Amino acid sequence: MFDRRLVFHINWGLLTLTAILFLVGVMNLYSASTLRMASGLELDAYFNKQLLWGGVGLCVMTAVVLVDYRHLKSVSWPFFILCLLLLLGVVVAGKTIYGAKRWLDLGFFNLQPTELTKIAVLILGARLMTRMEGRLGWVSLGKILLVGLVPAAFVVKQPDLGSALNILLILGGMILFKGVTSSVFKVLAVVIPVMLPFGWFLLHDYQKQRILTFLDPGNDPLGAGYHIIQSQIAIGSGGFWGKGFLEGTQSQLRFLPEKHTDFAFAVFGEEWGFFGAMVLLILFCSFLYQVYIVTMEAKDDFGSYLAAGVFFYFFWQILINIGMVLGIMPVVGIPLPFISYGGSASVVNFCMIGLVMNVAMRRFVFKKG
Amino acid sequence: MGAFNTPERPQVFSGPPLLLVLVVILFCIFGIRLWYLQIYKHDFYLGRAQENRTRQSTMFSPRGIIRDRTGLLLAENTPAYALALVREDCPDIPGTLDQISRWTGQPRDDLQKAFEIGRKRVKHFDEQVIVPNIPFELVALVEAHRQDWPGLAIAVRPKRSYAYDETLAHVLGYVARANEEELNNDPDLQLGDNVGKQGVELMLERMLRGTKGLEEFEVDASGRVLSSRVVSSPVMGEDLDLSISLSLQEVATKALNDRAGSVVAMDADTGEVLALVSLPSYDPNEFVVGISHAKWKELLDDPLHPLQNRPVQSTYPPGSIFKLAVGALGLESGTVTPAKTVFCSGKYTLGQRDFRCWNKGGHGVVDFKKSLRESCDVYYYQLGEQLGVEAISDFSVKCGFGVRTGIELPHERTGNMPTPEWKFKRFGEKWQRGETLNYSIGQGFTLTTPLQAARFVAALVNGGKILRPTLLLSEEPDVQGELPMSPAVRKLVVDAMVATVEEERGTARILRRPGLRIGGKTGTAQVVKLMDKYEKKKTHEIPYKYRDHAWMVSFGEKDGKRFVVVSMVEHGGHGSSDAGPVAGAVLDALLGVQTEGGQEG
Repeated sequence: MFDRRLVFHINWGLLTLTAILFLVGVMNLYSASTLRMASGLELDAYFNKQLLWGGVGLCVMTAVVLVDYRHLKSVSWPFFILCLLLLLGVVVAGKTIYGAKRWLDLGFFNLQPTELTKIAVLILGARLMTRMEGRLGWVSLGKILLVGLVPAAFVVKQPDLGSALNILLILGGMILFKGVTSSVFKVLAVVIPVMLPFGWFLLHDYQKQRILTFLDPGNDPLGAGYHIIQSQIAIGSGGFWGKGFLEGTQSQLRFLPEKHTDFAFAVFGEEWGFFGAMVLLILFCSFLYQVYIVTMEAKDDFGSYLAAGVFFYFFWQILINIGMVLGIMPVVGIPLPFISYGGSASVVNFCMIGLVMNVAMRRFVFKKG
Repeated sequence: MGAFNTPERPQVFSGPPLLLVLVVILFCIFGIRLWYLQIYKHDFYLGRAQENRTRQSTMFSPRGIIRDRTGLLLAENTPAYALALVREDCPDIPGTLDQISRWTGQPRDDLQKAFEIGRKRVKHFDEQVIVPNIPFELVALVEAHRQDWPGLAIAVRPKRSYAYDETLAHVLGYVARANEEELNNDPDLQLGDNVGKQGVELMLERMLRGTKGLEEFEVDASGRVLSSRVVSSPVMGEDLDLSISLSLQEVATKALNDRAGSVVAMDADTGEVLALVSLPSYDPNEFVVGISHAKWKELLDDPLHPLQNRPVQSTYPPGSIFKLAVGALGLESGTVTPAKTVFCSGKYTLGQRDFRCWNKGGHGVVDFKKSLRESCDVYYYQLGEQLGVEAISDFSVKCGFGVRTGIELPHERTGNMPTPEWKFKRFGEKWQRGETLNYSIGQGFTLTTPLQAARFVAALVNGGKILRPTLLLSEEPDVQGELPMSPAVRKLVVDAMVATVEEERGTARILRRPGLRIGGKTGTAQVVKLMDKYEKKKTHEIPYKYRDHAWMVSFGEKDGKRFVVVSMVEHGGHGSSDAGPVAGAVLDALLGVQTEGGQEG
C-alpha cells in the first residue's frame, strides 16, 4: 500500500515550517501560561497539554499521509454525512461549556464535530469541483454552496459563528480558486455587498456588539472593547525588540484576555516585538507559499483542490485571528493555527497538513493501471 | 480527469496566481499594522501598559501639631475611620450605597449626592470617602462583611483634635472638610481632606498641612497588589509653637467671667501675644466632625455672636483710652505743655451747645498729667478744638489706630479714624465742629480693635516701636513703624499712665500692685448717646444693649520685661470697675509668673 519511494518526495519545506511554527507556538504558550503572582511566577498546564496534542496530531498526520489521497474521493460522501449526524447529535445531546453547545461527550474525551466537519466539507467540495468542467456556473455553484451551508447552519446554532464562517470561507476560497463564470462573477460582485447589511439581522446581540465595538472600542473600554484595547496595548508596548521571553507584563498580569487561545499572538508580539512578529509573519507566509506550490504541482485536479482548501483553511484563520489581535478586524473566536492553544484544532491542523503532504508526495505518481 | 506530468492548473485571473496574491496582501497588511502599533505608536502603548499595571495611592501626611509656649499640646491628630468606596472594584454601586445607608442610618439620597459630587474628583482606583468619621463598632461590622461588599474600604485618616475646646477656639480656629471652592483653588486638596477654616489653622494652612506622598503599586488585572514602591514620601506638616500661654489664656478667660468681651496680653518688646481671649466662644471640635445644622444655626443666631473673634474682628469706639494719643499729639505739636492748665467746670460750651465732662462737678484746674489720670473730658474738648480733626486722624493712624495689625488671624477689621472727607463720602454730610470734640475723647465714628489698642500701648512702653502682634513663638519682632512722638513725650504719657494707677483719684487705681510698676488707662465707649432717662441710672439698671463698653489698657513691668494687657468688656459699663479687674487678674498672673521665674526660658 505504501510505496517506499514516496519518502523521497516528502515536502520537507512544509514539514520543517510546520515543526518550527508548532514549536514557536509551544514556546509562546509556555509564556502565556505564566501568571505573575505576588509570590513569583506560576505556570498553568496549557503548554504541556499542547505538546501532548501535538503528538496526537503528528500521529494523525502520519496516518493521513499513508493513505493515497485519491481514496478520499470514495469516502467523501459517507464522511460528510457522518459529520452531519454528529452535528445533529450535538444539537440533541451536546455538552454545554461556557454557554455554547459544541461538544459531544464520548466518555474518554470531548469530541468537537465542528472540526471534523471542516475536513469533510473540504474533501467533498474538492471532489465535487473535480467533476465540474471549467468555471463554475449557477448550478454548480449552488451545489457546492449547499455542501457548506447545511453544516454551517448547524454550527451557527451552537453558537459558533467563527467556525461556521470558517467552513463557508474555506469553500468560498476554493470556489475562487476554481473560478466562476463571468456572469456569476458579475452578479455576485453586486449582490454580496448589497446583502451584507441583511446579514446583520441574523446575528446574535453579542455578535452585533462585537462588530460595533470593533468600530469604536473606546465606547466601552472595560466591557466589550476591553479585548481589542488590551491586545493592542500588549502588542504596541512590545516595541521593536519586544520585552523578552517571559517578560510580557500585560499577559502575565492578566490584562490580556484569552491570552493562551485567541490572543496568543498578542503575547508573542509583546515579548518578541516587531522583529519577532515579522519573523512569525514570514514563517506563516512561507508556510502558505509552500501550500500554494502544492496546489500548482499536484498531479490531478482533486489534489489541487484539496491543497487549495487547506490553503484557505489556514489563510482565513491567520487573516482573521491576527487581524483581530491587531485591531483591524472584529473579535471573532477564531484561533491562530499552531500558536493558539486548542486540542481539536491542533489535531485538525496536522490532519490538514497531512492532506497537503499526501498530495505533494504523490505528485509524480501515475494513476494505477 | 487525466494524469498530467506537467501540472497545468486553471487560472481565474490572468497575471499572478490568486493564492500568491493573497499571501502577499496578508504579509503587507500585517507588516504595516505591526509597524504602526509597535514602532510608530510604541510610546503611546507603552504608556498605556504602564497605566494598566500601576495604581497610585496617596500617602497622607499628618498635619503639624500646635503647642503653646510651654510645649503643651493644643491641637493634635488622632486616628479616625472613614467609610470609602473604590469605584473600579465595586460591581454594584447603588446596592453598596443602600447597604451603607442601612449601616449608618444616613439617608440614601445624601449618600448618593456625596458619591456624585465626589466621583469626578477621585482618581481611578482611589478611595472615595463616602462617610467620614464612623464609629469603631461600624468599622468592625464593615470589616466582617468585607467579602460581601467588594469595593468598600475603611480609610484611616488623621482627625484633628483640640484639647482645650472653647478656650482657644478663636486663636486656633479649626479644620473642616474642604468645600467645592477650596478644592477648585488648590490642586493638592483631595475630596475628604480637611483644611483650616479659621484662626491659625487657616492662616498657617500651608505650613501646617505638609505634603502628601505617592505610593505606586504593581497590580494584575483583578487589582491584586504584587509589589509597591514609594514614589514620593509624605512630608509631615510643620509643628507650630504658639506664643500663647495656655495658663494665662485660662486666667484671662476666667476673669472675663462669661461676659462678652476680649482680653489681649502681649509682650511689649517682641509683639508676642500671650493670651487672646474672645468670649463667648465655641467648641472647634464640633466643626472637625462636621457640625450639625441645628448647632450651626444656634451659633449663628446667638445674639452675642460666639463666632466673632472680638480682639481682631470687632471694632469699638476707644473712649478715653484715645486721650493717650490725643494728649501725646498736644504735647508733640506744642499745642500744650505739661504744665499748661485748663479749668474744668464740668462742661465745655461750643456755640449753643454744652459738652459735658463725665465729672459733672468739674475737675477744677487740670494739667496734662491730671487730664489723663482723672480722664478729664473738658481738657480734651479744648485740646481737640485747637488740634483739629485732620491732625488727630493723621496722628492716630500713625499710632496704629484704624490700621490692621497683621496678626496671624483671618478677617481682621480695620476700624476707622474719621476725617471730614470720609464723613462726606460716607454720609454726604459736612463735618461738625462738635464732632471733633467727641473725636478727642474717642467717641463718635472713631473705631478701633482691642488688638490695635494693645499694639499702641506696647509701642508707648517699648521705646516707640510699633510691632506686629504675632501668635508665633521665637519670631523676630516685626517692626511696622515708629510712634510719632519724641521720647520725652512718650515718657510723659507713660508716667501719666502710671500715675493713673498709683496716685489718688487715678481712674485705674484698681490695678495698683505694691512694688510693681503698672500703668493704665480706662475707657468707656458709648454705644449710643445715652438717653436722658438712663443718664442718672447705675449701669445695672440700664438695658444691656444700651450699656457702654468698658476698656482698660494697661502695662506692667517686672525684671525688665514689659507686658501689655488690654481688656474690653462689651456693654460692661465702666472701664475701671468692669474691665479693670479683668486686666488686673491677667497682670497678676503675668507678673506672678515672672516672680516664680524660669517659665519663659
